[in-house]
Amino acid sequence: MSTIRRTWKINGKTVAVRFPAGRRLLDVLREDLGLIGSKESCGEGECGACTVIVNDEPVVSCILPAGQLADGTEILTVEGIEKKRVGRLIQQAFIEVGAVQCGFCIPGMVVSSYALLCKNPKPSTKAIREGLAGNLCRCTGYTKIIAAVKLAASRIPAAKRT
Amino acid sequence: MTKRTSKPVRLIGKGMPRVDADGKVRGTTRYLNDIDYKGIWHGVVVRSPVPRGILRAIVPGPAFAGDNLVLATAKDIPGENVVHMHDRTMPLLAEIGGEIRYRGEPVAVVAAATPEQAAAAARDVRIEVDELPPLLTLDEAVAIFKSAPGKLDTMKEQTIVKGDLAQGFTAADDVVEAEYWAGHQEQLYLENQGLVVFPQKDGSILSEGSIQCPYFPVHELNDPLKLPPEKIRVRQTPIGGAFGGKEDYPTMLTGYAALPALKSGKPVKITYERNEDILFTPKRHPVWVRFKTGFKKDGTLTAIECDYILDGGAYLTISDVVMYRGILHCALAYRCDNVVIRGKVARTNSFPCGAFRGFGAPQAIWGIESHMDAIAARLGKTPHEYRLQVHARPGDVTPTGQTLSDENGSTACLKLALKRSDFARKLRQASRGKLRKGQKKFVGVGLSFFAHGSAFTGDGEAKFKAKGRVELARLEDGKPGINIRVSSTEMGQGVHTIFTQIAADALSLDAARIRFPMADTGLVPNSGPTVASRTTMVVGNVVYRAALDLKNQIESFAALRFFKGAPAELRGSRLLSKGARPVSFETAAKAMLAEIGSASGFFEFLLPADIRWDQATFKGDSYPGYSWSANVAEIEIDPLTCELEVKRVTAIVDIGRVINPVTATGQVEGGLTQALGYAVMEKIGTGKNGLYDAARLQTYIIPTALDVPEYDVKFVEYPYSFAPPGAKGLGELPMDGLAPAIANAIEAAIGRRLRQIPLTPEAIFAALHPAQGGTP
Amino acid sequence: MKITEKIDVRFPRTLAEALRLQAGEQTRGKLLAGGTDLMVQWAAGVPAPERATSVWNLPELSAIEMAPDAIEIGAGVTHAFLRDCVQIRRHLPALVAAAATVGAAQIQSRGTLGGNAANASPAGDTAPALLVTGGSVVLASLSGRREVPLDRFWIDYRKIDARPDEIIVAFRLPPKGRAKERFRKIGTRRAQAISKVMAASRILVEKGRIVSAAIALGSVAPTPVRLAQVEAFLVGKKLSPKLIDEAEQLAQATVAPIADIRSSAEYRRWASGRLVRDALEHL
Repeated sequence: MSTIRRTWKINGKTVAVRFPAGRRLLDVLREDLGLIGSKESCGEGECGACTVIVNDEPVVSCILPAGQLADGTEILTVEGIEKKRVGRLIQQAFIEVGAVQCGFCIPGMVVSSYALLCKNPKPSTKAIREGLAGNLCRCTGYTKIIAAVKLAASRIPAAKRT
Repeated sequence: MTKRTSKPVRLIGKGMPRVDADGKVRGTTRYLNDIDYKGIWHGVVVRSPVPRGILRAIVPGPAFAGDNLVLATAKDIPGENVVHMHDRTMPLLAEIGGEIRYRGEPVAVVAAATPEQAAAAARDVRIEVDELPPLLTLDEAVAIFKSAPGKLDTMKEQTIVKGDLAQGFTAADDVVEAEYWAGHQEQLYLENQGLVVFPQKDGSILSEGSIQCPYFPVHELNDPLKLPPEKIRVRQTPIGGAFGGKEDYPTMLTGYAALPALKSGKPVKITYERNEDILFTPKRHPVWVRFKTGFKKDGTLTAIECDYILDGGAYLTISDVVMYRGILHCALAYRCDNVVIRGKVARTNSFPCGAFRGFGAPQAIWGIESHMDAIAARLGKTPHEYRLQVHARPGDVTPTGQTLSDENGSTACLKLALKRSDFARKLRQASRGKLRKGQKKFVGVGLSFFAHGSAFTGDGEAKFKAKGRVELARLEDGKPGINIRVSSTEMGQGVHTIFTQIAADALSLDAARIRFPMADTGLVPNSGPTVASRTTMVVGNVVYRAALDLKNQIESFAALRFFKGAPAELRGSRLLSKGARPVSFETAAKAMLAEIGSASGFFEFLLPADIRWDQATFKGDSYPGYSWSANVAEIEIDPLTCELEVKRVTAIVDIGRVINPVTATGQVEGGLTQALGYAVMEKIGTGKNGLYDAARLQTYIIPTALDVPEYDVKFVEYPYSFAPPGAKGLGELPMDGLAPAIANAIEAAIGRRLRQIPLTPEAIFAALHPAQGGTP
Repeated sequence: MKITEKIDVRFPRTLAEALRLQAGEQTRGKLLAGGTDLMVQWAAGVPAPERATSVWNLPELSAIEMAPDAIEIGAGVTHAFLRDCVQIRRHLPALVAAAATVGAAQIQSRGTLGGNAANASPAGDTAPALLVTGGSVVLASLSGRREVPLDRFWIDYRKIDARPDEIIVAFRLPPKGRAKERFRKIGTRRAQAISKVMAASRILVEKGRIVSAAIALGSVAPTPVRLAQVEAFLVGKKLSPKLIDEAEQLAQATVAPIADIRSSAEYRRWASGRLVRDALEHL
């Protein structure tokens, strides 16, 4: 079994990691790096609780072979989101609107919301629903989550939208 | 924060942000699997490979030669091999020579230092069983009931009788009879089941994990573990959703983990992955319900006869109470003098069903609310006018003989739902199977109307006497504050927030000084399980009263200590006394803690003295209070594919006093979405091999953000005055009535009635195109 | 430790390196693109191989070339790229529509066109849209390249016409030209859904008469299928309500779907015809 070495930029910091060739990105993040904000729920890419952003694209880290991420890959997890202005707006909006219940899906929701707003800072309701369709929530019925993303979008200053 | 005023801020009725939201949006909240336990072992349950048979042998293989590994079987159970539950019949682990009754029944538990080692060892246990023929499904049970009722294997039966049924049918001008089916439903909390059992030096255990009802393991495992309640301590970690799914099951899981933990002396963690969680934890009960109703030409209901059979699975566990709640909701919402409802818990060789939000009521309401539309259609009345005519309202008497007080907002819910949804107009425009010019889709609108009993059934709360404490303490910042000590668990529904609001208002204290630590049976009195839509109404009242008790104590202390015996009042976080300078809560509380140590207010919940309930005959006051709701579903069906889209749902809700409108609305929207899944897509059953046939999230389908309709949720408030602040139950109500509203809307859209959920395109196709041989 | 950690995954940086690694392979299923199918299958208990070769991000698999006769799309192109690509949408709208229904955003970021084809599920979302182009798959190995017409590529349930040492490198897809394309998927829900039935079509009508027709279905047979009988029936005929009725019935008579957790055989049969109707009604 070979061991892989990679150097990534995680949440803005350069991090060198070593792991077995078949290891999942989620395990590298949670177990090797202690970034426990990304959750495992289904283990098969259906629920989105483990969503992180890799080079600006949202991905499910539970079915992503970590070795496929080359040196220099930029990874953003929920732990890095709050350092971003838009990320903090999203988190605040989730709290204000009441979009949080049990909370288990919420880190993934926040990350998917961030990925969406980076690409589309003024999304329609339909675009928000599509952007969040890969994140299952069993508590909220999504309504307040969608409202939170709308609220966050409304607060993004026109000039600075990432 | 704002200028000082003598008028304290009132939080009850306000949408205070959740107290636990910050950690959840930042990802810092540590759920069980986020906690780095050092030195624990990992447990894996070894299960029966067949649904029924006699267990002959458990043969461990070579994997057990090594160290750091333990195998626990029934022989390792310190006491009697039984989980108490409701009838003391279910073994904790199957016994050699005993009968295996369901596929996946635990036979042994392996624990090892690493999860891989435990899993490998568990695979290396050979289970020898002499197979017996199983009865796997409710369909088979109902077939037996229909052909030879006496041969149905029932674990519990109960009948409700009101008036004279025969006379009721004699008086009827017409009769409508029909059957309705509902299948299993998986709770699908996002966080899977899990807990850790720590064996203690004194022989006691501590169980910590995603546990909805911490006092259940304390009282359900005494016989098998041979431990008195005080030697079983249970505490909650943050719960990633439960919905009833972590009500009864963590008791069994604690038992499974406790055996290798006690045998090895090591802490043992059992945590399921999704696949195991879906396959081997309880589901909502499948139910078959048959209504036979007699009525006069003017619509007056003269007789309701109902058979309600639920598939309890292989053991009763808690299914008797689910059946009770089910039959109590079969004919609750309508006026009728002659009622007979017969409930039965059938035994099958499927996984024992358990608690899930609604607890028997959604299946009952699925039946009666579909049936009411069928009666209205027979009478030539519109479904809403018919419900306005015959619905139960204050002064009416329920099937158990309870007179509804004027704290029931039934009429208000119904009327507001009709108005806000513009129901009458939309119903006139419904397609009834014919597309109008230019229309591409069938449109329909459907109504349901229902109540949900708050708190334990019957005299449960009177017997239980929920207890709670509110204590003055030094908080983590070193300054004085308040700890709420009740056993209610936060699992997303918002109890930590609304109890903070209630305590803050009762004490007239800044909510920032109030904490609600996670429930820990070592630290909190038993305020009961977090179930049955009882928490806000019952335990909320306990918190309110206990907080008032503490407020009195603080005021008495302050009067003597600061105001020379003159009366003092805690108001707006300050102690006020006429003519004296106010003293801050912080100063007063510090002095109190320094001089008399900790102080706490206490309360034990009581029901009104005139409550009456006869458990044997099911007569009397079946619930202390009732919440009410009316749902309107607006749908479209594509004639091309029979695909169904639920466009809009109106839900008007009477839950008494609304403590927090934001969290309450969130509860309703979330419950409606679970109900939507139940109604139109969630499908899981027991396969021929005895396993659930949808074991993963790729096959068990729940709604996504693209599937939810627009919701219009509004509250009407008819408070429960006996228990301030006047809340009634909310948790389960939103789960109850959407399925029949959608089925009624489908009937309006295509002119066909569906009697089985989920209401899939396949079922709509089969109804519309029977010649094409559709089977739903 | 998850099951996938037992797999020795190699991460070549070029196609040549990947082909060398594959050269000795005797069995299939060891090429790992975005992992959105394989990682899920392995997690769900499908026996994992000892070794696997990652073809994710190989530069030779990422190109898109637009030529008049065919658009060549690299096998490593993701659904997200297809979903957002305006030029491809103009020429291959059904494929773009299909890519947008694969899973949700996270899966589209990682799932590739080559991976979806190699997975060879009858419910593979892009397969019907690929089939109706009449295009081909380009396979490479150390012994060279070959092209396989798409309608001969999926040979049985989860079986493709590719040797273990071959890697799918691209798809050569003729643009639709003046024909109309349509894609429609009936799923178990509105996102993240595996199809109950789906259809793609490419049909050219001139002066009210059907000049050419390609119609393909997914989830109704062990492989994605072209409805050759229905196509032959349609070509040369004048489009009319009666013709649509007949085509619908012919499609229903042609397919022989099975029942599974997602749908019934009867519904699938019926819906197959309905989707053919849908295609013809949208010309």
